[in-house]
Amino acid sequence: MKELLIVEDDLEMQEFYKDMLQGEQFTVTIVSNGEEGIKKIKEKKYDIVILDILMEGMTGDRLFALLRRDIRYKEVPVIMASALDEKTYRCFQALGNVSFLEKPFNKEKLLGEITKRLEGHK
Amino acid sequence: MFINKKEIILNINKIIFSSLDIREVYQTMSKELSKVIDFDRLSVTLITENNALYENFVLSKDYEYTALKEGVLYPMEGSMMKRVIQFRQPVIVEDTSKGRFLTDIVLYNEGIHSRLGFPLEYKDRVIGSVNFGSKRKDYYTKKHIDFFAQIAPQLAMAIENTRLFNRIKEAEEKYRNIIESSPDIIFECAKDGEFLLMSPSVEKITGYPVNQFYDNRGYGLSLCYSEDQERVQHEILQVLNGKNSNLMDLEFRIIHKQGQIIWLSLEAVPIKEGDKIIGIEGFCRDITERKKLDELKDSLIRDVTHELKTPVAKIEMAIDMFDRSIKTGNVNALGSGSKIHEILRNNTNRLKNTIKNILDISKLESGMEPLKLSDIPLIELVTQIVNEHKDTASTKKIALMSQLPSNIPIIKADRDKIYHLITHLVDNAIKFTEQGKINIIANVLTDSVEVTIEDTGKGLDEKTRELVFEKFYKESSSTLGPGIGLAICKNIVQLHKGNIWVESEGKGKGSRFKFTLPIITDRKSSK
Repeated sequence: MKELLIVEDDLEMQEFYKDMLQGEQFTVTIVSNGEEGIKKIKEKKYDIVILDILMEGMTGDRLFALLRRDIRYKEVPVIMASALDEKTYRCFQALGNVSFLEKPFNKEKLLGEITKRLEGHK
Repeated sequence: MFINKKEIILNINKIIFSSLDIREVYQTMSKELSKVIDFDRLSVTLITENNALYENFVLSKDYEYTALKEGVLYPMEGSMMKRVIQFRQPVIVEDTSKGRFLTDIVLYNEGIHSRLGFPLEYKDRVIGSVNFGSKRKDYYTKKHIDFFAQIAPQLAMAIENTRLFNRIKEAEEKYRNIIESSPDIIFECAKDGEFLLMSPSVEKITGYPVNQFYDNRGYGLSLCYSEDQERVQHEILQVLNGKNSNLMDLEFRIIHKQGQIIWLSLEAVPIKEGDKIIGIEGFCRDITERKKLDELKDSLIRDVTHELKTPVAKIEMAIDMFDRSIKTGNVNALGSGSKIHEILRNNTNRLKNTIKNILDISKLESGMEPLKLSDIPLIELVTQIVNEHKDTASTKKIALMSQLPSNIPIIKADRDKIYHLITHLVDNAIKFTEQGKINIIANVLTDSVEVTIEDTGKGLDEKTRELVFEKFYKESSSTLGPGIGLAICKNIVQLHKGNIWVESEGKGKGSRFKFTLPIITDRKSSK
């Protein structure tokens, strides 16, 4: 089973993720802030990390930048999720292996994005 | 007399080419002339540009007082000067007592009895005259004229040169003053990157002293922010190569000596020598403040967009969840009290609140909504708010208290707005306090009531204290909410002609939000 880490501080959004990924072929771990996200990533290798961008404390884009700066996590596929359109975060594309998921999204869109990222990584 | 003519001319010539101080030129002239022509008074007069007045320079006299003073403009009319200029001929006055010219009478009173006026011509134009005065009657003759005619052209040239030089010097000084006092960086740079001119303001803007720029070729470019360097260099080369006739508002970043980024806007044109471009000149303006505002505006738009889009996104996702629950037949997930229900309600409320806040501030700012003033018992109002917030505070284990002296007068204010104001400040205090207490304190001052909402929460640094009442201000981009609440509070207090501010010892040290409302005494009723 693929390992999925979701970093999202909005409890309602967490519910949506749980609901959409229920019964799919993933092991899903959800944490509520960037600092915890980093801790998890250091503990275990994840196949995909989904990051919310606007979070209290360490924001998703900062976490992403940190990952890309560290040789160990340079390749971890990342999906950034935000209610803002991806134009705002286009500059991060240069850091590689990242795609954007605009909120709102439905189950199909989420699974589609995850599959794409998993394949893209191969 | 009349010996050493050559030597005198040589001496005068030396002065012409060695000194450009008009005083010095005159002094030497007077000294040299005294060797060859006897006089008791020597003056130079220069015509002003409109030919109606002349300026007098008394070079030498052996008596104390003179009525024709230096630095004063005299009318040409009736003077010897006028005659000298009109006929471009020397004029001799044998006896000033006859009063041929108005100035004769003046000088006669000073003991001058005869005069010789000699025109000073430069490039076919009379620029003024040299005037000799003698205490002896009938002193000057054609002999003097003939002699003086030989040195007059040199004198005229010396005087004109000095005058021109002084005019240029004045203009240059003005120019230098402009450059030295300009807040913008004014520069001239040769094609090889050497600065020919760099205004001192460069030190204030970049942190580096002017010398650094003069001593190092291309120093300006080396300060450029790495991402902008290539673009700036390219644009400047376009001008130097004649491919672009000027640079308008070229915006780029440099790194200040202290490390911070400074935004500059450059406007420049080529320096030409004939048809050849030999350099570039122009000015750079510090536009960092403007850029910061632009960035702030962008982030405001982003924050407000986010705040409006997020609840809508979640409502849409809840509906999607709802649809899937129906498909899978998971009816339990749908009823009231279910997650979907809760999410829909929460986000509709959040959206409603945001929209209400934005409308509120628009209304307050436009002044369209007049205050509905009534007598407000502040103690009652605060007590009500404290009671309404007891539960939320206690779930966070925060003590919510109030200290209200009983002598608080009734104040005239808009009840709904003051309720909103205090509620928002208390809400905020609870939101940003993790432990400790929140205290609402009222104090009666001479002509106002001061209310303090004091917490033991996360506190504010200096910058935040200044900005926290600004519309859409957020301490960090991840702080939730559109940052509009305190702007509304500020508006409410201002409408009541009060003040609002915040005190804090710094981050993590709690904060005291304070506002005052004026006590309006109703004079009619007190009588």
